[in-house]
Amino acid sequence: MKLFKITALVGLATLVTACEDLQMTENGPDKTFDRGLDKKHLSQLEAGIWVDPNGCDHWIIDDGVEGYLSARLDKYGKPVCSGVADPTYTAGDFKKGATGLIGDPV
Amino acid sequence: MVNTLFKTIRIAAGAALVATLALQGAAVNAQTQSQSGRDKGQYIPTIWVDPDGCEHWVMDDGVEGYMSPHTNRQGIPVCHRGNVCGVMQSDQFFATNSARISKSGQARLRDFFTKNEAVSYIITGHTDSRASDAYNMRLSLNRANSVAKVAQSAGARIADVRGYGERMPAASNGTTSGMAKNRRVEIICIR
Repeated sequence: MKLFKITALVGLATLVTACEDLQMTENGPDKTFDRGLDKKHLSQLEAGIWVDPNGCDHWIIDDGVEGYLSARLDKYGKPVCSGVADPTYTAGDFKKGATGLIGDPV
Repeated sequence: MVNTLFKTIRIAAGAALVATLALQGAAVNAQTQSQSGRDKGQYIPTIWVDPDGCEHWVMDDGVEGYMSPHTNRQGIPVCHRGNVCGVMQSDQFFATNSARISKSGQARLRDFFTKNEAVSYIITGHTDSRASDAYNMRLSLNRANSVAKVAQSAGARIADVRGYGERMPAASNGTTSGMAKNRRVEIICIR
């Protein structure tokens, strides 16, 4: 019985180490890929618009477990406040990155 | 005696150096705790291009995502294409030093704004580099406002109206044709 426990423990430890090894190869300084099931390059993200309380636009992306938000700027670097939606509301489909399995849990 | 004192100072300096190095080591560790030190605090981003054609820095850190606009050090976004959908050459719409648009010019503009189906528009006026900066700022804003008024009468939504005077030239002010190019009103279409 005791021997079994020890064997199980060693096995578990090996498994955990293996997982960490796998992560080690994945979570390096290169942050340019989605680490989810689809492993896509981040240039493939699809955005919608979120309007901030001042009425100005931001690109919003829901990529499953990651969320992205970045200011929409015009060519002069000024915020774009288009009026496409009321403040705090969104426009467009920005949840395409959520997969069927993971869905959009939060 | 002097020798002993010197030795003491040396030891103290050495200890201070070791303490400083230890502190730096701690700072590096603190930075990288989120990834158990695997990325050593380095986050290499990639580029995402938004539907307007402008770049953003983007990173995926496992279950976190980060994004921020890619601008140059002056705060101007890096864009592959702008969403300028119309450039009015001022010479065709305004008399020199005037912000009044002719009847035919107004009709052309109304036609443009009726056919265009943008969500809203940003109108920016520009001049060449003759006359003073202050005068050009005023004239370009007045001209942009004239265009915005016609747009509104055609049912368009105006997001912003600005006058940049001679500060955002599109061409060199050293030639006649360059100056003519700089006398313009740009219409940005927000879709």
